[in-house]
Amino acid sequence: MANRNARSGAVSAARKKQPPWLWIGVTAVVVVLLAAAVLAGGGSGGKSKSTKTAAGVEQTRPVTVIGTPLPKLPDGGTDPAIGQEIPEVDGASFDGTPIDIRNDGKAKLILFVAHWCPHCQREVPLLTKYLKSHPLPSGVTLYTVATATAATSPNYPPSAWLAKVGWKAPTMADSAGSKAADAFGLPAFPYFVAVDGAGKVVGRTTGEISTNDFAALAAKALGNR
Amino acid sequence: VEFDVETVSLFLALLAVVAEIATAAAIVLAVGGRFSPALRRLGRQAVEAVAPQALALAAVVAAVCMAGSLYFSEVAHFPPCHLCWLQRVCMYPLVPILGVAAWLKAGRVRPYAGALAIIGGCISSYHIALEHHPEWESGVCDPKNPCTLIWVKRLGYLTIPTMALSGFALIITLLAVSRAADRPHPSDRPRSEVHG
Repeated sequence: MANRNARSGAVSAARKKQPPWLWIGVTAVVVVLLAAAVLAGGGSGGKSKSTKTAAGVEQTRPVTVIGTPLPKLPDGGTDPAIGQEIPEVDGASFDGTPIDIRNDGKAKLILFVAHWCPHCQREVPLLTKYLKSHPLPSGVTLYTVATATAATSPNYPPSAWLAKVGWKAPTMADSAGSKAADAFGLPAFPYFVAVDGAGKVVGRTTGEISTNDFAALAAKALGNR
Repeated sequence: VEFDVETVSLFLALLAVVAEIATAAAIVLAVGGRFSPALRRLGRQAVEAVAPQALALAAVVAAVCMAGSLYFSEVAHFPPCHLCWLQRVCMYPLVPILGVAAWLKAGRVRPYAGALAIIGGCISSYHIALEHHPEWESGVCDPKNPCTLIWVKRLGYLTIPTMALSGFALIITLLAVSRAADRPHPSDRPRSEVHG
């Protein structure tokens, strides 16, 4: 006990005499790290750098919707949009090339993606790889709509992301208010809409899907159930 | 000097790396000290140097974590997801709890602060796992604000929950150091107790 008290007293005396080296050290480390962060200018992966896009490339474009919007896809149960005619959506790609999703007598698959969505970030490369070896049947046209675009969100801009993963399907840049996504009743990302040759919805689904399910959606659009 | 989001997030990431190094060093000293007298001696010196200020240091770590999270939500406008909120629930109270404990030298708050930090660390770990396995949360992205969304990724791995985990881990380490200083060292015990 005496030994312990003596040790405790020595420690307390040491505490009183001890200059604040610990705090000086901590402050020095913080200052050095702050200087390193400032000098590095944010380093690689900086948002200010990644948001730079080529001239004429816009991440959102005006969209015009004609016709009745589809109801939002419910969580479960029967999809009320099955058999409903899709609205016509006129817009443009990132570089301004007009893209219109219309009742043109052709079956189509429409994929809605958000650049910040981790599921979309997994699904798009999966489909890119699949479509290289398994092109869609000639009667089905695949469209993509890049929606919910926000410069403050991760993986911006969507044009650079889709180009990086090698996505080839015509891609419409949705409006800043996501008009195209709203017109198709999008509830979550990624979102697929299968449309038959008559312009009627034959299937809708959300989330990551397998390549088999993707092929099944394309077959549905062609009328092969 | 421009303190934009990139600079601040890099600064916080570097602080997180220092927190991880300090935590790893403490673990090496604690575990290695069981086998190596040299590490045991080094560990004891480290405890004696850090312990008197451990609660105050832990309060500072919690305050920096809180400031960082407020910066990300209020200045950078990254909306916190529900798991971020749960981590805040564990981290924010640690600032006054540890601050007051350091001021009053009230070591008895360690179990309460430690429990909060451990719970927060577990939530951070789950959040990090979700970032790597978004399918665990759901197969779809909620358009509002999913927890799988990675707002910041610095130095290749430091996301916001990873930084939070580093903070929680350092706070737990500092609480352990503070406690270690209060325990009598085996060499302080009477000879009969040590051998008996």
